[in-house]
Amino acid sequence: MGFQDRLSRELIAAWAIAKKDVIIYYLRPGTIVGGVLFPLFMFLAFTAGKLGTATALIPGLVGITTLFSASSIEPVSIPIERRTATFDRLLAAPISLNALVLGESLSGLLYSVVIALIVVVAALLILATSIVSIFPILVGILLSSLCFATMGTLFAAYPTESPGDIISMVNVVRFPLIFISGVFIPLATLPAVGQMIAYVSPLTYANDLIQGGYNGKMTFNPFIDVAMLVVFILIFQLVANLLYKRFND
Amino acid sequence: MQAIEVSHLVKKFGDATAVNDISFSVAAGETFGFLGPNGAGKTTTIRMLTGISSPTSGMAKIFGHDIVHETVAARQSMGIVSETSNVYTDLTGWQNMMLAAQLYRIGRSERDKNATELLKRFELYERRRDDVHGYSKGMQRRLTIAMGLVNSPRLLFLDEPTSGLDVESNLIIRDMISDLIKEGVTVFLTTHNIEEANVLCDRVAIIEKGHIAAIDAPERLKKTIQSVQSIEVSFDSSSPTRLDELRQLSTVNNARKEGDKFKLFTEDPSAVIDGVMAYAHTHNTRVMSITTLGPSLEDVFVKLTGLHRSGGGITAID
Repeated sequence: MGFQDRLSRELIAAWAIAKKDVIIYYLRPGTIVGGVLFPLFMFLAFTAGKLGTATALIPGLVGITTLFSASSIEPVSIPIERRTATFDRLLAAPISLNALVLGESLSGLLYSVVIALIVVVAALLILATSIVSIFPILVGILLSSLCFATMGTLFAAYPTESPGDIISMVNVVRFPLIFISGVFIPLATLPAVGQMIAYVSPLTYANDLIQGGYNGKMTFNPFIDVAMLVVFILIFQLVANLLYKRFND
Repeated sequence: MQAIEVSHLVKKFGDATAVNDISFSVAAGETFGFLGPNGAGKTTTIRMLTGISSPTSGMAKIFGHDIVHETVAARQSMGIVSETSNVYTDLTGWQNMMLAAQLYRIGRSERDKNATELLKRFELYERRRDDVHGYSKGMQRRLTIAMGLVNSPRLLFLDEPTSGLDVESNLIIRDMISDLIKEGVTVFLTTHNIEEANVLCDRVAIIEKGHIAAIDAPERLKKTIQSVQSIEVSFDSSSPTRLDELRQLSTVNNARKEGDKFKLFTEDPSAVIDGVMAYAHTHNTRVMSITTLGPSLEDVFVKLTGLHRSGGGITAID
């Protein structure tokens, strides 16, 4: 079997898994409403807490939305599928673990992109937010969604049938990421240690791209942001692959 | 080429050895039964043969493909039906079939054709657009098997296919297994139902504590314990003390009640028949029927696994 044939097989299988997840988990009214309400409540909390003007908060809100929406469903769906043994069906299919991880993450990516775009459009229509360039915003949303969806799939590798176990672990990472990634506090004003930590957060680079699209101010070169997000995606994919292999034994 | 070749397969979990140096092969077109009590290593073996779990040492090949190094190629020729009906209950029957087919990269026209044929064969076609959570247990089981056949596998792993099912589903599934055997599909069957293995399998392996205790054709296995013969007898009246009384007959090694009959195990059937007739006369009862039976596959299983019979059957068979 040639490389092209194998790649095509893996992508078809990954897409089949993603479609399955979208139908079963993401198209549920509760998931959609929850996905839209989450950024709304975050926005209200930020404005009530006077963290900045409404329009200034939107770029950070978009970043946080991708983080939470992309990494929320797989930590729930995979333990449930372990309990019902449907996950064994995927593990026993003639596909690689890479295709399985990608498929699970793709559905999170699609969901997150849709929710983030709702935030972008709603902010444009309701708050008349100004946008310098839509391109970095779209790239930021796309890459960060895949990155955080893969992160969610990675955490879901932990061999439990209880979604709560995974969600607890994911939250230990997600909430600190908000505060160390320049979402509310500009990176330049962070102490040296804070800046060092910020460099190992994918949200830093996603936020930088999105901020750049909204106000034209970026800490890093956009190519560095893109490259770092791609590196994080690859690392999460690789580690997830290894963990699923290890825990399945 | 053998459908399955297993050589010195070992699986350890820490200090515990779940599968200990087992070797066997299954010829193409053969129906192979894999029996063993709970925790004997059956599921671990199947997980290794299907590439879900890696062996600690040893080798397994599926149609010549090493399951560790050529996992995808090996899996492409197999269908897997797990013990649990692992179907997506929030999807329709048709969507489940399509997902299974796409995982095997079957083209649209072929997967539509295969899915239609299989759903009709398993009497699910009329309900194909319904969500599976509305299906009965038997229907979910049939759908699970249909999904396992969607890629027209040359080798089918069937784990407890008929366990706990209604009569209709049981008959449909057994007919299907018989058809597959006729079509030359290799079947690797694990089952609680030893009689099912006896009827369907060309050979059976009995695994106990991670070792293969015996592997042979059912009839040849039975011949290995010819000493365990039995008499099946029924009387025209019942008595609560009858089982204990029959156990006391000379040359009866063991006895158990099976419905309205008593099964008496012995090495000397003719002496037991004489004893039973004398017992009937003494207790003023009539013998309704009496049959001499050779050892069953279940007897072989009990002897090899060291399980104990309790009441009307044996306990702790996985």
